[in-house]
Amino acid sequence: MSQNTTVKIDRPGSWEDGRAKNVTFVVTEDCQLACRYCYLVGKNKSGRMNFETAKKAVDYLLREEKFLAEKSVVLDFIGGEPLLEIELIDKICDYFKLKSYELNHPWFDSYRISFSTNGLMYSDKRVQEFIRKNKTHLSIQITIDGTKVKHDTQRVYPDGRGSYDNVLKNIRLWTSQFPETSTKVTISGDDIPYIKESVLHIWSLGIKEVNINAVFEDAWKPGDDELFEEQLTELADEIIEKKLYKEYTCSFFSRTIGHPYEQNVNWCGAGKMLAFDFKGDIYPCIRFIEFSLQNRKGIIVGNLDKGIDENRLRPFLTLDMVSQSPDECINCDVASGCAWCQGANYDFAETGTIFRRATYICKMHKARVRANNYFWNKLGRRLKTDLRETNPDTCQC
Amino acid sequence: MPMLKYLIIILNDASVSFCHYESAKTGKKEAGMISYDNLNKAVAFALKNNLKVNFLYPRFRPGKKYEKLIEDVEHVKIVPRKLGGVYSDAITVLEAGDLRKENKVTGTENIILRLSSPELKILPAAVKEIARKGGRINLVIKDVENFGDSKISEYRKLLAEISGLLIKKSGENSIPEVNFLTDRLMLESMNNCDAGITHLTVAPDGRLYLCPAFYYESGENSIGEIRNEINIKNRQLLELKYSPVCRICDAYQCRRCVFLNWKLTGELNTPSRQQCRMSHAEREASGNMLEELKKKNFKGAKGIEIKKLGYDDPFEIAVKNRYSIQEFKNFNS
Repeated sequence: MSQNTTVKIDRPGSWEDGRAKNVTFVVTEDCQLACRYCYLVGKNKSGRMNFETAKKAVDYLLREEKFLAEKSVVLDFIGGEPLLEIELIDKICDYFKLKSYELNHPWFDSYRISFSTNGLMYSDKRVQEFIRKNKTHLSIQITIDGTKVKHDTQRVYPDGRGSYDNVLKNIRLWTSQFPETSTKVTISGDDIPYIKESVLHIWSLGIKEVNINAVFEDAWKPGDDELFEEQLTELADEIIEKKLYKEYTCSFFSRTIGHPYEQNVNWCGAGKMLAFDFKGDIYPCIRFIEFSLQNRKGIIVGNLDKGIDENRLRPFLTLDMVSQSPDECINCDVASGCAWCQGANYDFAETGTIFRRATYICKMHKARVRANNYFWNKLGRRLKTDLRETNPDTCQC
Repeated sequence: MPMLKYLIIILNDASVSFCHYESAKTGKKEAGMISYDNLNKAVAFALKNNLKVNFLYPRFRPGKKYEKLIEDVEHVKIVPRKLGGVYSDAITVLEAGDLRKENKVTGTENIILRLSSPELKILPAAVKEIARKGGRINLVIKDVENFGDSKISEYRKLLAEISGLLIKKSGENSIPEVNFLTDRLMLESMNNCDAGITHLTVAPDGRLYLCPAFYYESGENSIGEIRNEINIKNRQLLELKYSPVCRICDAYQCRRCVFLNWKLTGELNTPSRQQCRMSHAEREASGNMLEELKKKNFKGAKGIEIKKLGYDDPFEIAVKNRYSIQEFKNFNS
């Protein structure tokens, strides 16, 4: 086996190589937590999907051909906190299976069910029964943000209490049921000093894949990039010294980042994925639903009665990197891997457009690139091979 | 990059519409009128910045004080049928009703004709009339959003019929001009409206807009007050270079209306499917017409080639074949 194949650190798993249609059911706009970095600024208790709307959504998905030509589908249940609506989700999945079977639809045996959950209800009987019933088609990701300090800095109840201890109770059960699972960590400023210990902590809990994002908001203070770089460099040393790169994955380190752009592609998949809300409106992704937006109205691209308005999808499907990026980004020497979120771009743009990229993350990306270079160059020297490579700039979200 | 060349000034809320929007149907003379101070400011702005002005007139004359001010600046008067004979230098906007009343195109040789899809059937007669006079028709279709498959198919037939008429009336070097068929014969690059780039609009509220349609849609669409430094936020989105669909397109006669783009797709730089298919039907008809004209030894479209395409909506190409970064960098608007 070559040295390259023993390095797993930047090789996350992906079902169907990410080519499946991703369809999001926003089953509730409610959540038990009030995480400080959460982009869902309008969470509420009234926005709950009912089964009739969900059925219409499934019927639409199985009927529509023009915009849903993919051979596989990921049914993504999201909130708020999706497990608050586990009984509804169970009914939706049963209905999907039944109807796709009746229609002899290709998705009947080519679907995944996916959740991102705060994990608080994971051991609930109804959730466990759902897992038993759907295990072979199921991906569940519990969000644990790192060490108790890191997690409780951000992921809190409305009264300010941290949620770490209650989430941790369910982690062992989760990793025993889904040993190849991953978690998603968000960095938003005050928690930068805890990055290194948090990644190591998550791995020690048996979660082998950690996907980390720095928030796209205007949240970064002068000096944050230096601290960030320091944390990643220390993490890089630890991974190399303890040979953790053979077994674990962390999205901070990737051979494809830090190069000039080679291809004119959009980072974000908004519009290629679709999201349904409780009213039966269709969106390019959850980030365009009103409860996700601080400054702008939602962008609806259709509804379950009339279907998709293809004119409203056209901007999303033609959006490319050059048309939305400032010259500084197009000409950036370390551009690849610099992420953006279309919904955040739209929310922060001076006018209501998706064609303007927010660049608050610029310094953080450059810091990440420097630490990333450090990691691969040093690891390459240790393994006596060149590990750097370039690759198309594709979305990891 | 093109610069500001002219200003459109809407004299009254009920001024004639010359494009895809509808203006206010009724307007009391005084109530809907731009104030004299604001008109003065707008005219001064035009004079200081070497801009010509297109004045949009209501159905009545604006009064001597206003007319004196209007004459201070180089301009074009765009007037409704009712004022068609009043000013010798005006361009008249006609609606279907104006044609029906008199059963012919009268008064002027250069007209803007605004029709909705059910009214297009009167177009051949109008073309015949204007051809007889040696004038020009600028057609504006009022309900682009309604052009689904069946209307596109009808439109193609109509274009073929009118092409036939024009070919018959053509000479060795000239052809009666109708924008949607003959403009493409003369164009080697995009001839878009360029609202916000080559022109801005002053509305009766005294504020600036990208074009009159944005004013009539909502006063909230204003881009600001009349002042020397005009800052249009995300102005690049008005440029051809920043439109993934339009920058690869050669339907050069398309006006690429940013208002319709915004209204139908939510983005200034993204055309609707209806708009693209109509423009491509026109482009194709122009191409067919050019082939016939060449057989007649027509020399009025030298160097112009209109190739056959395998698609009727450049969106399909924009999605499949991404523009390269280098192509983008090399693009000249």
